[in-house]
Amino acid sequence: MAEVLLAAEQLGKTYGTTVKTVALSDVSFELQAAEFAAVIGQSGSGKSTLLNLIGLLDTPTSGRVVINGHDTAAATRKQRAALRNDLIGFVFQFHYLLPEFSVLDNVLMPGRIAGAGVAKLKPRAEEVLALLGLEGLESKGANDLSGGQKQRVAIARALMNRPALVLADEPTGNLDTENTKAVYELFRRINQELGTAFVIVTHDRAVAQQTDRILEVQDGRLLQDVRNAYLDPAPGDGHGRSEPGGDGGELSVTRAAGEPGGVRAAAEAASPE
Amino acid sequence: MLSFNIAMRFLRKSPMQSILIAAGIAIGIGVQVFLGSLITSLQTSLVDQTIGHSPQVIVQSATDGQAVRVTPALKQAFAVQSQVTTAVPTRVFSAIYRKGKVSAPLQFTGGDLAQLNTIYDISGRMSAGTARLGSGDVLVGKDFAAKNGLKPGGTLPLVLPSGKAASLTIAGVFDFGSAAANSATAFVDGGYAAGVLGYGADQYSAVDAQVSNVFASKSVAAQLAADPAVKGLRVTEWQAQNSDLLSALKSQSSSSYMIQFFVLVAVALGIASTLAISAVQKTRQIGILKAMGMKDRQTGRIFLWQAVILGVSGAAVGVVAGLLLIAAFTFAGRNSASLFPIHPQVGFIVISFAVGVLVAMLSSLIPSRRTTKLDPIEVIQGG
Repeated sequence: MAEVLLAAEQLGKTYGTTVKTVALSDVSFELQAAEFAAVIGQSGSGKSTLLNLIGLLDTPTSGRVVINGHDTAAATRKQRAALRNDLIGFVFQFHYLLPEFSVLDNVLMPGRIAGAGVAKLKPRAEEVLALLGLEGLESKGANDLSGGQKQRVAIARALMNRPALVLADEPTGNLDTENTKAVYELFRRINQELGTAFVIVTHDRAVAQQTDRILEVQDGRLLQDVRNAYLDPAPGDGHGRSEPGGDGGELSVTRAAGEPGGVRAAAEAASPE
Repeated sequence: MLSFNIAMRFLRKSPMQSILIAAGIAIGIGVQVFLGSLITSLQTSLVDQTIGHSPQVIVQSATDGQAVRVTPALKQAFAVQSQVTTAVPTRVFSAIYRKGKVSAPLQFTGGDLAQLNTIYDISGRMSAGTARLGSGDVLVGKDFAAKNGLKPGGTLPLVLPSGKAASLTIAGVFDFGSAAANSATAFVDGGYAAGVLGYGADQYSAVDAQVSNVFASKSVAAQLAADPAVKGLRVTEWQAQNSDLLSALKSQSSSSYMIQFFVLVAVALGIASTLAISAVQKTRQIGILKAMGMKDRQTGRIFLWQAVILGVSGAAVGVVAGLLLIAAFTFAGRNSASLFPIHPQVGFIVISFAVGVLVAMLSSLIPSRRTTKLDPIEVIQGG
């Protein structure tokens, strides 16, 4: 049995003090090491909030996140920063490269934040750059790259510290079809070759179908948690992976409890999306 | 050091902004160095002109007109004072110059010329004749000589305090640059003065002393007064006699400090606002760095480093600019006798430099705090 990498326990996030808006409510799931999962949901459903919570970028108002055995409920900002640096690689919709630095410096950054010297880190940085086909671009400025290249540098940077988990929030949101395909193939390869777990937030069901597990968030609640499943396609959406013996139904579905009605409007209003 | 490295990159990314802040610091520190040196030199020059060539500490009898016995113990009392640069025993008496219907009072100081020179620099300030104090010689002031048509080699007829008439030979005429000194003082041989006063070999009117730091005269006087050898004698010092000059110097200093202070405040506000803008501009980068695990304090230090880099380079340029200004000022006034020389002081420049860096660092507190408090989630809101 694979070990549990991350456990979300009854996670909730409420914004505001006088006027409270619930962005996420009572979300629980466990993520195994080397799992390849997607979080889907409509705009404002709370999927990004969920990602920020399990990525320790945000703190839940209720529940807790346990990552690699560390209960982060009582962790200080400093401890959470150290856990992020050590365990998690982030890939965002906007590459978020540091424009002041070269490609190589950007990739080196997580290692330098961990306290290592450039000389010691360089071989690893060159290794991840090569893995992403970015050889020869090391000394280029972060702004001198194409959109696809920038996102690949961002992925290289996310992989720098050999994270156990990569969290990607709409990582291909700004890329064309070809680059999108390349990025997901890359994620899958890294997942298989390096055993890195992935949680990818997307609104694209076709993309989600390529993963091993789908967590669907609706109105701030976990609507379904499907493994190796063929998901009900949305009208006009692409087709998913077909399962033997299935007729478009769901396999090993865990329905999340709770009534979504009424929360939705509030969640949409509160979500930063 | 990662924070330093990032600070450098941030500064280099917006060179114009960086240069402008550094220039602001440079101007502030340049003004500081120039103005500070100017005022200090002006005061030094003023003090020097006023009391540089006169006794700064005087030990005399508590009763006017009584002689002071200059014993080895009294000499030792001066010798142990490290601040005292010279101590000269003098004999002072008044006499009246009388020639025909003209009569004018003169204050005579009698002593050894070499010793008197250590205070009055008589030899260096002669306008006619020779600086010589043999028996029967007298040195008179320029104004007195001019008014009475006296020349070196001529005689000076006097009526002594005893009522007796006397005549001295004018050896030379001095110019002390002050009408009061030039028209009413004269110097004679110490032995002659002893004769006039009826003093013995170890009897003097006073011991005149100078101190290395003129403003230390108060403490030197106090220490002297406490010496057993000085017991029963009266110790006076120049500051007690020149309160007007002192208060003028003090108000000049405080106005100079005010100007310097407000220049620094203006510089600090300039740096603070520019760094605050820079912190806002770099919010995104700071958020990303924090998302990647950079600690709050580490990110705060980025702006502290920026301030240090700007402060050090700006203050260095400022010091050079200030020195150039001083050089230009000195050059412009090279032919003017009324202009005083500006002597930049190393200690003051080091302090100005340090103040510049410190002000820059203090100005970075607000952006640093802001950066420290920033939550990465405020920046990471994609998807």
